[in-house]
Amino acid sequence: MLFNTAIWKRTWGDQRVLVLSLAALWAAFPWIYISLSAQIQMSAFQDVLLRAIPQEWQKLSGVPFAEVATHTGRVALAFIDPVVVLAATVWGITRGSDAVSGQLERGTMEMVLAAPVGRVAVFVTQALATTLAALVLAGVLLLGVATAIAFGPWAGQVDPVRFVPAAANVFGLMVCMAGITACVSAADSHRWRTIGILCGFYVFSILAKLVGRMSESLGWVGYLSVFNAYEPQRLVFGGVESWQLLARYDGVLLGLGLAAYVLGAVIFARRDLPAPL
Amino acid sequence: MRIDSIMLVHADNLTKRYGAFTALDGCSLEVAQGEIFGLLGPNGAGKTTFLRTLLGFIRPTAGRATVAGFDCATESLRVREQTAYLPGEARLFRRMNGHGVLDFFADLRPTCSRGDATRIADRLGLDCSRQVARMSTGMRQKLALAVVLATDAKLVILDEPTANLDPTARAEVLDLVLEARAAGRTVIFSSHVLSEVEATCDRVVILRAGRLVHEQSIHDLRRSHRITARLAGPFAGVPESLAGRVSVAGHDGGRVVLEAAESLAPLLGWLATLPVEEMQVEPVGLGAVYDRFHRNGFSQLPK
Repeated sequence: MLFNTAIWKRTWGDQRVLVLSLAALWAAFPWIYISLSAQIQMSAFQDVLLRAIPQEWQKLSGVPFAEVATHTGRVALAFIDPVVVLAATVWGITRGSDAVSGQLERGTMEMVLAAPVGRVAVFVTQALATTLAALVLAGVLLLGVATAIAFGPWAGQVDPVRFVPAAANVFGLMVCMAGITACVSAADSHRWRTIGILCGFYVFSILAKLVGRMSESLGWVGYLSVFNAYEPQRLVFGGVESWQLLARYDGVLLGLGLAAYVLGAVIFARRDLPAPL
Repeated sequence: MRIDSIMLVHADNLTKRYGAFTALDGCSLEVAQGEIFGLLGPNGAGKTTFLRTLLGFIRPTAGRATVAGFDCATESLRVREQTAYLPGEARLFRRMNGHGVLDFFADLRPTCSRGDATRIADRLGLDCSRQVARMSTGMRQKLALAVVLATDAKLVILDEPTANLDPTARAEVLDLVLEARAAGRTVIFSSHVLSEVEATCDRVVILRAGRLVHEQSIHDLRRSHRITARLAGPFAGVPESLAGRVSVAGHDGGRVVLEAAESLAPLLGWLATLPVEEMQVEPVGLGAVYDRFHRNGFSQLPK
């Protein structure tokens, strides 16, 4: 059996506070973001900005600045705001590190595995709970954006449905980060070290993407970054192309996340478990 | 007490190495069904390594162990279906209260009786409404004991079960261990408290530096005696006719220490012939056996 009900309930109990906190943040953030953005009349100085900002810098946005300056484009930038990106990463690292190394460090894994429950069942159940919660949170974010658009200053000017691929991209990022963290956690015995490794991975990914964007000759470096597959601002302009691009991006993110989870399960199933200190 | 001869636990040359360090070195032993089996040794002797290898938490470097016929390394899940384990450092979920912990483990192990768990917790004087984070170390130990002893597992493994407990709770735990045996269950009991081991166990083994160095039946131990005598004259040694019944454990000037494995009656006539100024006769005790292997070097108690 790869699923355990008791572990499922306990995992939801453990992640309840984080889910509620992130849900509150992501429900409120689009309202704040859009109301602040609406106060800036982009049309008044859009041309000036486009001439003033160097072409190289415009590459960083991932889409032409002319599109970013539209209402749809500006809402899309909310998805690459640190409030969303960092929160998605924090979710992945927090939940992923608790999969194995967190429980080993606290000493609770010993009592759990003294019962007749398989290691893989413990790992998979936690992964499923984390992934389902990520889906819920991505849904909350989409709902926040949709309601902020529908009842905010840009009502009628922006189509909320255009942000479904963007929210799906957020979900992909959360699963990817959680999977990679859980894989590291499966091999580790200290949660603090797992978190440290993943923080390093996060910084590396950000830098790799920047370098890949800014330098022609080092463009390949960008492919070393998971954030190369996280570009929700490119997914909001409608049409089949958005969905095809989403399939590519989330294919990479979800594929990486799933592969990392599978590897993590294998590592955890075979390793020696250290006694609690 | 009659011990069923069916062996529930087999360990054959069980070895665990971590690089150059050997935590368990060729440990071979058997635990009979229905007995209380004691595991003794100082810190680092390999007791916990042995127990955790039985449960599949650690893979052995060499050798094999089985519980109820299931291989501990490759059939760990089946082993744990037969086993209830109290770790030496039982850690529980800090945010849950006692009731929540008991509910969780009852869900995790279908054969765990929630009612029995509550009864054991009450018997140990535990308030289950308190959050684990607000419990003392002793209270958490009681909660872990309630979780472990409420199952009907064939084999109960208790690693330092009375650690951090008050004297009343210690006595209750020992009673629960004896009740488990009376119910036909097998108990492996690892402890540093020799008096508790001696009071509850049927057999003990002593580990030292990862090796099994001695096996002792408590029944035989209770029949053994130590005779310490101060002599007024020279000691001529043990006569040939009594060589199998008594041995010299120590001889220092006018003081001689003898150990008799069996009844004292056959020795009394010979003892009366010795130039004794002062004599003390006492049961050997597990402490004396333990000290042989951990304080005074190796020496075999006559069997």
